[in-house]
Amino acid sequence: MREYVTLIIDGAHIKTARGTSVLDAAIEYGICIPHLCHVPTLSDIGACRLCVVEQIVNGRSKVTTSCTLSVEDGMIIRSNTDKIRNLRRNLAELLVAQAPNSRAVQDMAVRCGVKEVRYPFKNADCILCGRCVRVCAEMWQAKAIGFVGRGKDRHVDFPFGVRPDFCKRCGSCTMLCPMTISPCAGPMERGKERLCGNCESQLMITEKTNDACVLCELGKGFNCARHALGQG
Amino acid sequence: MPRISSLKELEALKKKLQAERKKIKKTLTTCAGTGCQASKSKEVINKLRKELAAQGLDKKVRIRTTGCHGFCEQGPIMVLDPANLFYCHVRSEDVPEIVSQSLSRGKVIERLLYTDPVSGEKIKTEAAIPFYRAQDRQLLAMNRLVDPESLEDYLAVGGYSALIKTIGKVEPETVIEEIKKSGLRGRGGGGFPTGRKWTECRQAAGEEKYVICNADEGDPGAYMDRCLLEGNPHLVLEGMMIGAWAVGAQKGYIYVRNEYPLAVKHARQAVAQARAWGLLGENILGTSFSFDVEIARGGGAFVCGESTALMASLEGKVGEPRPKDVHTVVDGLWHMPTTLNNVETWANVPGIMEHGADWFAVKGTETSKGTKILALTGHIKNTGLVEVAMGTPLRTIVYDIGGGGSNGKAIKAVQTGGPSGGCLPVDKFHLAVDFDALTKAGSMVGSGGMVVMDESTCMVDVAKYFLTFLQDESCGKCLPCRLGIERMLEIVTDITEGRGRPEQIDLLKELAETVQETSLCGLGKTAPNPVLSTLQYFLDEYHIHIDQKRCPAGVCQSLISYSVNEEKCTGCGVCKRNCPSQAIEGQKKHPHRIIDDLCTRCGICTSECQFQSIAVS
Repeated sequence: MREYVTLIIDGAHIKTARGTSVLDAAIEYGICIPHLCHVPTLSDIGACRLCVVEQIVNGRSKVTTSCTLSVEDGMIIRSNTDKIRNLRRNLAELLVAQAPNSRAVQDMAVRCGVKEVRYPFKNADCILCGRCVRVCAEMWQAKAIGFVGRGKDRHVDFPFGVRPDFCKRCGSCTMLCPMTISPCAGPMERGKERLCGNCESQLMITEKTNDACVLCELGKGFNCARHALGQG
Repeated sequence: MPRISSLKELEALKKKLQAERKKIKKTLTTCAGTGCQASKSKEVINKLRKELAAQGLDKKVRIRTTGCHGFCEQGPIMVLDPANLFYCHVRSEDVPEIVSQSLSRGKVIERLLYTDPVSGEKIKTEAAIPFYRAQDRQLLAMNRLVDPESLEDYLAVGGYSALIKTIGKVEPETVIEEIKKSGLRGRGGGGFPTGRKWTECRQAAGEEKYVICNADEGDPGAYMDRCLLEGNPHLVLEGMMIGAWAVGAQKGYIYVRNEYPLAVKHARQAVAQARAWGLLGENILGTSFSFDVEIARGGGAFVCGESTALMASLEGKVGEPRPKDVHTVVDGLWHMPTTLNNVETWANVPGIMEHGADWFAVKGTETSKGTKILALTGHIKNTGLVEVAMGTPLRTIVYDIGGGGSNGKAIKAVQTGGPSGGCLPVDKFHLAVDFDALTKAGSMVGSGGMVVMDESTCMVDVAKYFLTFLQDESCGKCLPCRLGIERMLEIVTDITEGRGRPEQIDLLKELAETVQETSLCGLGKTAPNPVLSTLQYFLDEYHIHIDQKRCPAGVCQSLISYSVNEEKCTGCGVCKRNCPSQAIEGQKKHPHRIIDDLCTRCGICTSECQFQSIAVS
């Protein structure tokens, strides 16, 4: 027997199965909470922090990521407050300054309302979302790639830097990687990175309909779970 | 070694040991903590043993080697009892004199006495030293009385009394109630009420429960946990046993960093002794309670002090934190209910159980009870470990215990709580050491690091230092901590190197608040504190760096230049000889000159010059 609970996200009463994450519940209901490291069917690690929401506990608000938060009866969640929008924008700004050469990241920046980037651009190849590592370990039980190093030196690599036999080159890692698709105008040269912002028109649709998911094109860019689930 | 099978037996043994100890009147206590060992206290102790044996005094005098007394700056420290004579900076050459003069004839050796840096007086007894007098040494005092390698010693000073009183006799719920009543809060940084943690763990469902002692102390300059574990491991162990009884755990871990070899050694010995004596293992002291402790060595990652990262590390995984939406008291080590407390928290438990919650709660403020050990370092006269009652104002700690500024300069700020804490200016020195008061002021008690800074410190540089530390220690799992700290460091570096722009201050603040709100674990959530607190209290310093491209304290290398004051310069040539980049020219007995283009601003000339003739601007 599945047990159901009712929680309130942005004022909407949502009935969902116990064990679901707040993010999944919101997406299922059509509330858009931007997310990047979350992939349906894989575990959530809360790495990108973009899916932050406010949880109201005893009248006090607590900021937490919705992907790692399990639903509970009577839970009150706010995903679209000024505070959350600001935090989300700042996070997306950090992200796009780090890796402007990805359509997914650029789309995410637009979706989160980044209008200017106040940090010098870096042209990183990886944003350490961990999608590849998790799909390899959880979907294929291969663990052929993993995180190596700590902090600034953290990167994804094969064990000891050598491709092991149990990597079958299935390509799942590449398929889920948000860095594989360049911005529409083509790859940006080093030193000429910028905020793309071409899809801002999409944002106007999403903003008008407030927090409801309109299956925007932006979602396709960053592999939004709603698109991935084929609900679009 | 006797194996004790009942509570009564333990009590009888304790009485016997206490009676035996009373017979020996004279005791020579020498500190063999890490601080004093660094100043060669082992040599002193070896020499002392030989000397006493040669004089035939080894039966009449007891030599006790102990853990840290707290006054590490004066090491090696020796205390002669019963006279309470206090000798500092003892060298092995002094030992024959100590034995022949002080021990046999009761004479005081003047040159080994402690000189109070404030009044300049020589002080004879330990009790009269202002550094100790102003403290309230509930936990640290015991360090001087026990040899950490001897369980008998611990028993003789009343150790394991709380255990005897508690296990098998007091209901676990009553124990927790007592801890709750005492108002004990976690000493590791967060200040979470210990009683509440234990209740939740007790009530949580799980086949097995664990207690963990977090001895992965990593704040720069802080070493209170190290000293407790090195100096009195049985106290920590006793606390853990009581905790295990209260929450219903059968297994405990002491997670201690491998950089603390003495702490690892003493903890291991303590556990082995306790096992051999029947204080750990199956059916402890004939009761139904079974509990065992294992020592786990940490690899020295700062982030492993975070509870979930520590548990991941214990499980053999990479030491990375995970989201704590479900608390570790419910879903902790191997997904079982786990109570994790700091060394100092555990060390407070036996006292509470022995003397009662009221005894503990007498000291402290409304919300913070008991005493707190602080590591007092920086630009002050007396540095070392100090223990004060919660609620003691910072002023008392800095000026009365610390003796005030060390090199004649005015004190500017105190940094509390390590990299997660903040800097408080002098006009906040009325604030008390209290979890909530310091947090409200933008800093925190944290694990108890306290770095005093005088006018020669640049606060922007301090923020940069802590950001560099945190960048190195961030695990890199979540975006705000990894990228946020990197960008904050970038901005602060820009400011210290003269590239700062006025709008960067707002950006820094906004970014700091974002990192604070959105980071995954405690490390990231508190990482912006050094930036936010310096922005709050020392904003003018940031502005001077940005607007005037000047570092008022003369620290930031890109913003300062060195020059020779020609009136003061005698032309001795010391600076010229020592300059690594040949940036100083001049003839003997004529004023020298610094060539600015060649100068790397290393500051060697300033420290080498005997006549203070090198000016920094």
